[in-house]
Amino acid sequence: MKKILQWRWTPWVALALAALFPFIAGAIEANYLVRVGGVIGLFMLLGLGLNFTLGYAGLFDLGFIAFYAIGAYTTAIAMRAGVPAPFALVLAVLVTTAFRALLGLTILRLRGDYLAVVTMGFGEIARLTINNLDSLTNGPKGLQLAPWRPLSFLSSDPNVQYYLLILAAVAGGVIASNRLEDSRVGRAWIAIREDEIAARLSGIPVRHYKLLAFTLSAAFAGLAGGLFAQWEQFVTPESFVFWESILVVSIVVLGGMGSIAGVLVGALVLVGFPPLMQWKLSADWINYRYLFFGLILVLVTLFRPQGILPSSRREAELTS
Amino acid sequence: MSAKTPSPGRVLLEVKDLAQHFGGLKAVDQVNLSIHEGEIVSVIGPNGAGKTTFFNVLTGVYPGTRGEILFNGQELRGMAGHDIVAVGVARTFQNIRLFAHMTALENVMVGRHTRTVQFLLGPLLRTAAFKNEEKAVELMAKELLEFVGLKALGNELAKNLPYGAQRKLEIARALASEPKLLILDEPTAGMNPTESQDLVTLVRKVRERGVTVLLIEHQMRVVMDISDRVFVFDYGVKIAEGKPKEVVANARVIEAYLGKEGAS
Repeated sequence: MKKILQWRWTPWVALALAALFPFIAGAIEANYLVRVGGVIGLFMLLGLGLNFTLGYAGLFDLGFIAFYAIGAYTTAIAMRAGVPAPFALVLAVLVTTAFRALLGLTILRLRGDYLAVVTMGFGEIARLTINNLDSLTNGPKGLQLAPWRPLSFLSSDPNVQYYLLILAAVAGGVIASNRLEDSRVGRAWIAIREDEIAARLSGIPVRHYKLLAFTLSAAFAGLAGGLFAQWEQFVTPESFVFWESILVVSIVVLGGMGSIAGVLVGALVLVGFPPLMQWKLSADWINYRYLFFGLILVLVTLFRPQGILPSSRREAELTS
Repeated sequence: MSAKTPSPGRVLLEVKDLAQHFGGLKAVDQVNLSIHEGEIVSVIGPNGAGKTTFFNVLTGVYPGTRGEILFNGQELRGMAGHDIVAVGVARTFQNIRLFAHMTALENVMVGRHTRTVQFLLGPLLRTAAFKNEEKAVELMAKELLEFVGLKALGNELAKNLPYGAQRKLEIARALASEPKLLILDEPTAGMNPTESQDLVTLVRKVRERGVTVLLIEHQMRVVMDISDRVFVFDYGVKIAEGKPKEVVANARVIEAYLGKEGAS
């Protein structure tokens, strides 16, 4: 197992398989799975994003889904105002990170549980604001978007198009995460997670690096939110409830804090399994998904408290 | 030994009337002292004498209530902890504070933070400048591991290292920031005589690199062996200073350790 994970081509093989998946699914008439795959991809993006805050810098955030919402609504509002879809995505990333930076500036002095409670509060405030700000968000009735069909040269099915677009975003996110992790910046974050005082007294400006990790997280959430809005062509506050924040935290924690592969596997298991069961067994299954979710949490906590695929440190050549 | 009495260099650190009060408790009060370049200076004193608090004020953990800390003429009081490292003061901790889930090598590489610059774009685009800096950081970290005698353990997670090795790793991490002043808080705590002797040798080697050393030490044998000068703290104030032999003969010092009857 370890050998497979460390094999240098493993990520590329996984990417190739994932890229071929919608065409295979199309051939066996399981288009439903492509939709599921796209949703898993969105949660992979969210997980990769939260991984900066929670996995690297060790800051608990229970309101992360608010930034997914801000990304989705920014895209929706921008596209309704006539902004072309790709620019709407860029705008979503910028607006989301700006909100995140402002929030970070005000609350990052808090630690641990206090930070968790405040972010949870922010998540609820964001949802309630969206729900009530009728002039901008149309409240609970939601916003409709004009269709955008990217990658139409690859497939005529919008689900396949968005699946592939999301896959590309996940691949980019993985590369970016990986490169940042294995650098001076990543080491600074992990040092802060391990021991904040020792990090500061080793010369790391702790508050800046926390804010950086916190803010970068939102770029991923904003992108995911934008893609979600364009794919669904519809956004409502209902998509961004507290439960979704918990789901993203669970993806990071179950996968293995600070582990990129862990985030991907975490999203695959937690987001992918319930609809797969529903598809394979019966529609009733969806009613049991919280039971299933709890079961996974208990099993992982019992048998793999460090996560399904815990992060491992890079080994250096010492004999030179 | 001539190494024990170096010609006093210029003043590196000058502390004037420094105080740290916690409410009514004067943990550090009216401390005046100076340290010269190239010295090894020990701070001793009974438990609760304010030694660690003094170190914490020096390194920016506590703000200090009053007084000045002049390092190369620059005021350290009021500076953030990471900026103090940048001007050349690094430290270790009484209860070891390593980055437990990073390798020994990475721990030292973190210590290099203030002397390196690569930020978001370099790592993301893997620029030549980034790669060169990474290589240089890794090389220096390896050299420092070798310097403290931990080269073979570079890929071990810090938490898995034996106790003595963890203490040395903290020193290597501190040295990675190229400090002019290295502050060691009880470097031999919990060590047996052989390990302590090992550490004494290491501290001397650190001085040979041109680093001035200030340490808190409880083992008198180590203090007598290693120190050019000794400061004695009691109840937050400095009650004596001088060469090790002078200090242990000082009546106030004996009183601080043994009480009035012991002194008479």
